[in-house]
Amino acid sequence: MMVQLTINGELKQADVPPETTLLKMLREYLNLTGAKLGCDVGDCGTCTVIVDGESVNSCLMLAARAAGSEITTIEGLANAQQLHPIQQSFEELGALQCGFCGPGMIMSAKNLLDKNPEPSNAEIRDALSGNLCRCTGYTKIIEAVADAGQAMNSAEA
Amino acid sequence: MRPFDYIAPSSAQEAIALLAENGDSACPLAGGTDLIVDLKHDAGTINLLVDVSCIPEFRGIKETPEGLRIGSMVTFGEIMAADVCREMTPAIVAGAHTIGAVQTRNLGTVGGNLVTCVPSADIAPSLLVLDARVTITGPDGSREIPIEEFFVGPRKTSLQPNELLESILIPQDALGKPSKFLKHGLRKGQALALVNAAASLRLDTDGETLVEPRLALGAVAPVPLRAIETEAFLAGKPATDAVIAEAAEIAVTEAKPIDDFRASADYRRQIIRTFAKRVLTRSVEIAKTT
Amino acid sequence: MATRTKDVQTDADELVTAREARAPAKQPLTLPADDPVAFPLQLPESKARLQTPAVGQRATRPDGRLHGLGQTQYIDDLTFPHMIHAKVLRSEHAHARIVSIDTSSAEAMPGVLATLTGKEIPRNSFGPTLQDQPVLADDVVRHRGDGVAAVAAVTEQIAADALEKIKVEYEPLRPVFDPLEALGDDAPRIHGGDTNIYASKVIKKGDVEKAFAESDHVFERRYQTQMVEHVPLEPHASIASWDGNGRVSIWSSLGRITLGREDLARTLELPQSKIRLIGTIVGGNFGGKNEITNEPILAMLSRKTGRPVKSVFTRGDEFVSSTIRHPFTMDYKTGVMNDGTIIARKIRIILDGGAYCSWTGTTIGKGSILAPGPYNIDNIHVEAYAVYTNKTTTGAMRGFGAPQVCFAYESQMDEIAHKLGIDPLEIRLKNAFSEGSSSPTSQTLQAVAIKESLNQAAQRFGWKEWQA
Repeated sequence: MMVQLTINGELKQADVPPETTLLKMLREYLNLTGAKLGCDVGDCGTCTVIVDGESVNSCLMLAARAAGSEITTIEGLANAQQLHPIQQSFEELGALQCGFCGPGMIMSAKNLLDKNPEPSNAEIRDALSGNLCRCTGYTKIIEAVADAGQAMNSAEA
Repeated sequence: MRPFDYIAPSSAQEAIALLAENGDSACPLAGGTDLIVDLKHDAGTINLLVDVSCIPEFRGIKETPEGLRIGSMVTFGEIMAADVCREMTPAIVAGAHTIGAVQTRNLGTVGGNLVTCVPSADIAPSLLVLDARVTITGPDGSREIPIEEFFVGPRKTSLQPNELLESILIPQDALGKPSKFLKHGLRKGQALALVNAAASLRLDTDGETLVEPRLALGAVAPVPLRAIETEAFLAGKPATDAVIAEAAEIAVTEAKPIDDFRASADYRRQIIRTFAKRVLTRSVEIAKTT
Repeated sequence: MATRTKDVQTDADELVTAREARAPAKQPLTLPADDPVAFPLQLPESKARLQTPAVGQRATRPDGRLHGLGQTQYIDDLTFPHMIHAKVLRSEHAHARIVSIDTSSAEAMPGVLATLTGKEIPRNSFGPTLQDQPVLADDVVRHRGDGVAAVAAVTEQIAADALEKIKVEYEPLRPVFDPLEALGDDAPRIHGGDTNIYASKVIKKGDVEKAFAESDHVFERRYQTQMVEHVPLEPHASIASWDGNGRVSIWSSLGRITLGREDLARTLELPQSKIRLIGTIVGGNFGGKNEITNEPILAMLSRKTGRPVKSVFTRGDEFVSSTIRHPFTMDYKTGVMNDGTIIARKIRIILDGGAYCSWTGTTIGKGSILAPGPYNIDNIHVEAYAVYTNKTTTGAMRGFGAPQVCFAYESQMDEIAHKLGIDPLEIRLKNAFSEGSSSPTSQTLQAVAIKESLNQAAQRFGWKEWQA
């Protein structure tokens, strides 16, 4: 079935079998391989993207369900001039090691900071509880999210 | 995943007709957080998913004269964000908050959680103690039943073939009722409840006597359980620590926890005792300050 | 089709409006016409490369840029024209003889391009120490994760469906799961021969029996550790493709590509000059990606079909088929004087060695040497044995035996301290290595900082205050 969605501000479409998940459509039909396949059952969060303003496990969402929606993926954060503040903070604070959890982690962080610009440590942990990381122990990731929040706030001020 | 067809009807009648037409080879799709995982494992006879998540009657949180009506396809994220839920039904918001993680809460629906009907359904205890009623719609029209009658057994509800859960009503006089929900899992997030519990109650005009006490326990019986005997014991008694402690003992006897790889029945009994005390005590505290 | 957000009659609409009002971007984003954003790669210059002392300098990870952009290419992110997908059928039994494998129904399925069984592998054995592991089991399966056949098809789903059409006839054999049972005389011999023990190590120093006789106290206890799976977030993945010069290129999440190339040369009976093995950024390894898994299978399927072939482990495969940490059963006997000085330690370790040897050689060595702990003990006797069981292959996992023995000797240290009424910190300081101490294998140790570390840590934790 022909599925049309808006991804990172651009209208895209692909003819996919109905059982295709949003994750598979992004990775295999639209060449957006930022979202990852870590478990395929919605536990690890590496597939996290933002659909109509809410972060979701794209491995559990059918592409057909997402038709007509606005999707933001990791590929839509930076522009040709600059990194998104979250990407900037993650890089400066050395938040990622192998990087596999990165796209999902950053999308969850974006979802949090877009709604709650000054989250407490506990709120950051809660917001990221659907994103697993096996390398880092999470400490620098949490610091980077807090740091990015401050950067985003002072940009607005 | 095995191939299947997908259709998103825009009315309940359309959805019901599709399900009736296709029998065992069709099933309704809500948030997909359980169903899609199951289909990846083994699709069985399913070759058509009927997406019910956009049907207007199943969406939205509306304040009505009867009470607060929550559409079955409202997600846990939406419940947590809705001011009216935060103010009037905090125990439901608390229950929603313990489910999965942010991403699963943005997909998962109240209706899906109730229809999947596992004993540990985290949204159930709060709904039970707030006297929720569910509206079911099917080929023969709509019907409304108290939520206790909805849960029949593990993964078995009282939905008849081709019936769909339309909405959940929190009656007017349960809105704002002092209540508390707790969940205990092996982790703080993405955890199955070993035990979950909710209580609601009011205090009489003397500020001491328990009125309309409710206690519900999850994951410790084949279905989410209203602790009827405990409630009967509490009604009309003074809200003291001793009374609550005694009530907790009764709650332990009403529950039927099992040993499984997550915890022993004995450990679960200890949690029931502690949680029963905590949810009742906290509800009393709230009642005293309102 | 109606979309969700338009139907929500909550104050979610207000949420959206409020959020848009807070939106951070001051300038509208100008995205280039094609996606994803091609970000100019001006990597941060690390001062660590200049002629200045590196220690103390900030060194930003160069790969952090692409990770953050989501543009790091892991194996599963790579595609090649005409690429097809492979799946491996795993054993139904923990221990069984393979009587027959019939792949004909799978081969007949539309979309299936080739199948493979163990008999077709030119040299069906590999391993870093003992070459006891088959690429695909062809006579006996020794654990549930053993592969018995593989399929290559145009889509992953067809390959998975084709696995169900492969008929394997098994003759179940008696399995053994407990390593101590596997030591017994009547345990089934998993790799034939007259014992399931396949590796051993003995370390002796001084005279333990004499020292036990002289000890004021003797402590004896058994400690056991469990199976641990690495759970790298990126599942094992590889792609194989041949070129017109008869050379195979393999992209793999494998960590040790030199060793991998040797194993491929051996199993495929190809000269190394015909094998190009490309490792890329790995999404987590921790020791679990130290040896080949499906690579020879993919090479053969690619040769058969003339197409690039990719396979990615499912998360289920990761738990059942990829290597895990060795469970240890450790018997510690420790002779101690009244003042807390340890004068003798006798240790017997049984390593649950899984179905195949894999990295047991390194694990048993390291585990044995470290077993007495970082303590000055003059009389030591360590005996370690690795024994086959019909469970998941035990391989390398961070520490190679060190974490397991650490659990044992530190637990016992606390027990000794408690029994003798000595502060747990003091008893460690009393026995710990110092500069120039001798290891259990009589290596003179240098740059030893145990006591300084313990003392600094104790100070930061507030140990004395907490004890008071």
